[in-house]
Amino acid sequence: MLVIIPALNEAETVGRVIADVIAALRADVVVVDDGSTDATARVARAAGAQVLSHPFNLGVGGAIRTGMRYASRQGYSRVVQIDADGQHLPSEAARLLAQLDDQQADLVIGSRFAEGYARTSAGYEVSTLRRLSMRLLSRLVSRRSKTHISDTTSGFRAFGPAAIEVLAPIYPSAYLSDTVETLLIAGDRGLRVVEISVAMRERLGGTPSSGHFRSLFHLTRVILVVLLHRVRRPVMQRGVQ
Amino acid sequence: MTWKLVVFVSAIAVINVAVVIEFVRRRKLGENFALLWIGVGLLGIVLSVARPLIDNVANDIGVRYGPTLIFTGAILFLLFVCMNLSMHISRLTERSEILAEEITFLRNRLDREPRV
Repeated sequence: MLVIIPALNEAETVGRVIADVIAALRADVVVVDDGSTDATARVARAAGAQVLSHPFNLGVGGAIRTGMRYASRQGYSRVVQIDADGQHLPSEAARLLAQLDDQQADLVIGSRFAEGYARTSAGYEVSTLRRLSMRLLSRLVSRRSKTHISDTTSGFRAFGPAAIEVLAPIYPSAYLSDTVETLLIAGDRGLRVVEISVAMRERLGGTPSSGHFRSLFHLTRVILVVLLHRVRRPVMQRGVQ
Repeated sequence: MTWKLVVFVSAIAVINVAVVIEFVRRRKLGENFALLWIGVGLLGIVLSVARPLIDNVANDIGVRYGPTLIFTGAILFLLFVCMNLSMHISRLTERSEILAEEITFLRNRLDREPRV
């Protein structure tokens, strides 16, 4: 079982996250260093993780894509995606993994929302604009994939063998597409998607990586992607598998 | 005369949006640029129907012929697009060079490994 941790300048927290993950899940850990300029790679290696370093920044989607291709090439049958800032709890990751077996799920989403949008996980602060846009995405995606997903942009996910096989060659790497479009692809290919509410922790350190303009731009872009999804040509397989 | 102009410009803008969407559908045009060019098309439609407003603004500024503002705006916008594309190319060039260097060192490392 592989844990993928995408990281951009998270030297402050990634060591601790890796240690917690190894202790709680007994999994192999790969940190995808997305062009960090600090000691992220060195700290991660010292903490016992495999490190894949991008030559320059590709974005979190690109990092997960690299991680998924690594998982596929190394033959892992289960993958959990966890953030490097400590917001994702290993105990909650274990719950995601349990769903792969219990629910025969191929893809498990850890939602930051509970009871529709009535509550958010402790530690997850969301502005009104963000909440509205996430609700919109949820509505668009849920309708197309026939499963209700409330948190379509969650980066806290578990993948089973079928999901890895389907997604690794064609994983969409654009910001927001990597989560939202993945759900659409999963729906297309008949993968079973399950969503559970998870508790989150406050960021342990470091700074968040995206600004408002960028988020708005990519939100518009991903809405276009969702609307066009069904009529688009399939994306080409990337590289050697 | 005016309504013909509106229809003409709107038709062009609609065709523009349709072409962009088709290219995105065929995965020939990146999604990022699609938004830019769709924005252009929508702006075209808006401007073609907002002629009275443009004439007002033109008068305020001291421009005699309304459409001159539209042309000027269009030219400035195209300049902006060219600048943006130049920046994209610059970034891609830099990244290509980084990749070339990485390959150089990887190849050297492979060459130094004894062949089994």
